[in-house]
Amino acid sequence: MQSQSTQSNRSSHFSSQSWRQNLWLKNRDSFEGYLFIAPFLFVYIIFLIYPFFKGIWISLHEWNLLAVAFNPDAKEFIGLQNYRDMLWGRGMTWGLDNLLGWRLLGLAMLAPIWWSVQRGALRSKAAIWLSLSIVLLFGVILGIHPGDDGRWYDRRFWSIVWNTLAFVLLTVPLVTSIGLGLAIALNRQSPIMALFRTIFFLSQVLSVTVVTLIWQMIFSPSQGIISNLLQVFGLEPITWITNERLAMPAIVIATVWWSMGFAMVVFLAGLQEIPTERYEAARLDGAGPWSLLRHITLPGIRRTTTLVVILQIILHFQVFGQSHLITRGGPNDSTQVLVRYIYQTAFRDSELGYASGLAVLLFVIMLIFSVIQLRLNREEGV
Amino acid sequence: MKLKLIRIISSLLITALLGSVGLSQTEITLARFLGDCEQAGTNIQEAVGEACIIQSIINNFSEQDNGITVNTLPTDWGNYYDQIKAMYAGGNAPEVHMIHKSRLPEFASIGVITDLTEDLAEIGVDVSDWTDSAIEAITYNDRIYAVPMDSHANLWHVNLDLLAQAGLVNDDGTPILPSSPEEMLEQAKLVREATGKDYLAADFSQFPIGVRLVLSLVWQQNGEVFTADKATVNTPEVRLAVETITNLFDAGYADPNLNYADSQQAFLDGEAAVLINGTWVVDFYDAQAKDPNVALTNYYVSDFPTLFDTPATWADSHMWAIPSNLKRDDPEKYQAALKLLAWINDNNLDWARTGHMSVRRSVLASEAYNNLPHRSEYANTTNIVRDVLPTVKYGAIQDVLNRELQAIWLTGKSIDDALTDAENAVQDLLR
Repeated sequence: MQSQSTQSNRSSHFSSQSWRQNLWLKNRDSFEGYLFIAPFLFVYIIFLIYPFFKGIWISLHEWNLLAVAFNPDAKEFIGLQNYRDMLWGRGMTWGLDNLLGWRLLGLAMLAPIWWSVQRGALRSKAAIWLSLSIVLLFGVILGIHPGDDGRWYDRRFWSIVWNTLAFVLLTVPLVTSIGLGLAIALNRQSPIMALFRTIFFLSQVLSVTVVTLIWQMIFSPSQGIISNLLQVFGLEPITWITNERLAMPAIVIATVWWSMGFAMVVFLAGLQEIPTERYEAARLDGAGPWSLLRHITLPGIRRTTTLVVILQIILHFQVFGQSHLITRGGPNDSTQVLVRYIYQTAFRDSELGYASGLAVLLFVIMLIFSVIQLRLNREEGV
Repeated sequence: MKLKLIRIISSLLITALLGSVGLSQTEITLARFLGDCEQAGTNIQEAVGEACIIQSIINNFSEQDNGITVNTLPTDWGNYYDQIKAMYAGGNAPEVHMIHKSRLPEFASIGVITDLTEDLAEIGVDVSDWTDSAIEAITYNDRIYAVPMDSHANLWHVNLDLLAQAGLVNDDGTPILPSSPEEMLEQAKLVREATGKDYLAADFSQFPIGVRLVLSLVWQQNGEVFTADKATVNTPEVRLAVETITNLFDAGYADPNLNYADSQQAFLDGEAAVLINGTWVVDFYDAQAKDPNVALTNYYVSDFPTLFDTPATWADSHMWAIPSNLKRDDPEKYQAALKLLAWINDNNLDWARTGHMSVRRSVLASEAYNNLPHRSEYANTTNIVRDVLPTVKYGAIQDVLNRELQAIWLTGKSIDDALTDAENAVQDLLR
C-alpha cells in the first residue's frame, strides 16, 4: 500500500518532470522545426506575403509609377476609389432583361445541382450555398448595368474580365481532357510510347516567347503553314490574328498546345498509381473499355484531376504572353486579358494604384474559382 | 606592432583601390530600341540600316581611347517604354537612353530626366546648329532635356513599275499621286485593272501606322483629335479621314489584315504599288530594290500627298536623354554620358543615311546630305511635319486610337461607335 502510494507519488513527480522535459523537448522540436522552415518562410514572407500586402496598400493610393519613384511623397491616399472606378459607374440601374441569356443560362445551372442532391452526389448544405451564390450572381448582380445616360467608370474592365474568363473556360477543359487522353493513350511500356511522351512534353519546355513566335508563324495569313495548306486546296487563307471571332481561339490553341504536356505528365503519374489488379478484376467481370475508363480510371485519378484543374485555373487566369505577343489584345479588345490590362495600366499609363487594385481583383477571382473547384471535388469524394 | 600592420594593410588596400579606379574604364549603360545589329563593328561609314548605323556609332565611341565603355541593353521596340519606366521605378535607369519627342513631356514633367540646358556648351555641342523644330522637340517649359538625333515622318514609298503600268508616272519619272480622296480611289482602280495588285499597303493591324495615317488626313483638313483638355475624335474631319481609308478596303484595293512585317513584304514582293511607312526604311528599301532577287526594282520615295486642304504628315523625333539623378550622384558618369551624346550629335550625317531627316543646319546644308539616295524626292516633308499636342498620356491615347481604328477595319465596328468610344476614352485620359 505504502509502496504503492510512494510509487504513485514518485510516478506523479516523475510525470511532472517528464512533462516539463516534454515541453522543453517539444519546444526544442518546434524550434528546430521553425529553423528548418526558416529559409522558406523568409523567402515566402519577403517575396509573397510582403508584396501581397504592399499591393493592397498601393491599391488604396493614387500612385504614379515614375513620380513616386522620383519622389516618395508624390502618392495620395484615396481609400477605395480605385475599386469604385473599377467596379462601378455613374447612373447605374438594375434591369431584369440585362444580359438575360447569360443569366438564364447561369440560373439553369441550379437544375443539375439539385439533380445531384437527389442522386446523393452532393450534400444539400453545399447545394444550398451554391444555389444561393448562383441566384445572387445571376439573378441579382448581373442585372446591374448603367442606365441610359450612365456608364461604367471603366468601360473596358468588365469585357476584359469576361475575355479572361472565356480564355480560362476554353483552355482549362481542353488542356485537361487532351492531357488525360494523351496520358491514357501513352500509358504503356514501350520505346515508341516513351518517344511520343517526350515529343508531347517538349512543347512545355519552351518559353512563352518561343511558343508565341512559332504560332505567329503558323497563323500568318501570308506565310503561315495553315494558309499554305489551305492554298493547296484552293481556299482563302484564314486571318486568325486579325479576325475578332478567331483571335481568341487562336491564342487558346497555342496555349493548349503549350501546356497539355504538363497535364499529360501529371496524369501519367496518376494513372500509374492505379493498381492493375483492379483493371483485371473488372475485365473478368466483363467490363468494356468505356466502363473501365468510367468506373476505374476516372475515380482512380480524381485527386490528380483536381490538382491539374486548379493549377490550370491559377495559371491561365494569369495569361499574358500569348495575348501580348500574338494578338496584342486585339482586334477590338477581343483578346485583351486582365494581366495585360494590369501591365499596361502600371507601365504604359504609370497608374500603379489602379493596376494594383486590378491585381487584387484578379486574386479574388482566382481564389473563388479554386475554392469552388476544391469544394465540388470534396463533395464528390464523400 | 599591431597598429603598424593595420597601417600597412590599409595603405595597401587604398593603393589597390585607387589603382583599380585609375585603370578601370567608366562604364555607362545605354538603352535604345531600333533592334539588334550583332556585327555592327566600329566602321560607321560602312553600316547600313538603323540598327547597324547607331550601334556602330556607339561601338566606335566605346572603343576609342577615352576611358569610357558603353554597355548597350537589349534593343526590342515592343515594350521599350515599359522597360525604361520600370528601370526608373526600380532606381536603376540606364545612364543614357533614347526617347521620342512625343514621350518627352511624360518624363520631363516629373523631372526624372536631366535639364541639359547649361551643360551642352561645355561639351562642345552648338545648340544654334539645331533647327527650330529640333529645339522645339527637346524643349519642355523652356528648358532643354535631350539631344535630338532626327526628325522622322510618314512617307509614301512607291513602286514606280506598278504605277507606270497604270499610267501613273509623269514624263520626268515622278509618280502621279492623288490630290483628293476621290482621285485616290480612281488611281487605285487603275492600278488594280492594269496590274491586279493592291494600290496601298501599310501596317493596319499592329503598330499605330494606321493611326498616323488617319491623323495626317485629319490635320490636312485642319482638324485635331484632341486639344489641351478636350477630346475631339468624333468629328466630321476624323470621320472623313477614316472613310478615305475604309473606302480603299471596301473596294479591295488595300488589305487591313497586314501587320508591319507582312505589309513591308507585300511591297518588296511587288504586291502593292504604295507602302506607307516612315523615313527609317529608305536606305533599306533602296538596298532591297538593287537586289535582283527582290521584286521591287524601281523604288521612289514621295512626300505624303495632300488629299485635302493643308499639306501635313505625321512626324516625331528621336532624341537622347540622361536620368536626372546621375548629375548629382555620379558626376564622372554624367560627364561620360554627355560626351557620348556629343559624339552621337557629331555623327548626325551618318544617322541621316537611314533616311531620317537631320536636325543640324550644317548637315542639312551639306552636299553629302543632299546627295543621299532619294533625298530630293521627299525634300518637302520637313516643311509639312505635324504631331498631336504634347501630352503625358501620349502612349495611352495612341493605343486607344489604334484599338478603335483597328476595330473599324478589322471587326466591322461602325465608325460612329468606334469614334464615340475613342472620344470617351481619350477624354477620360485627358481628365
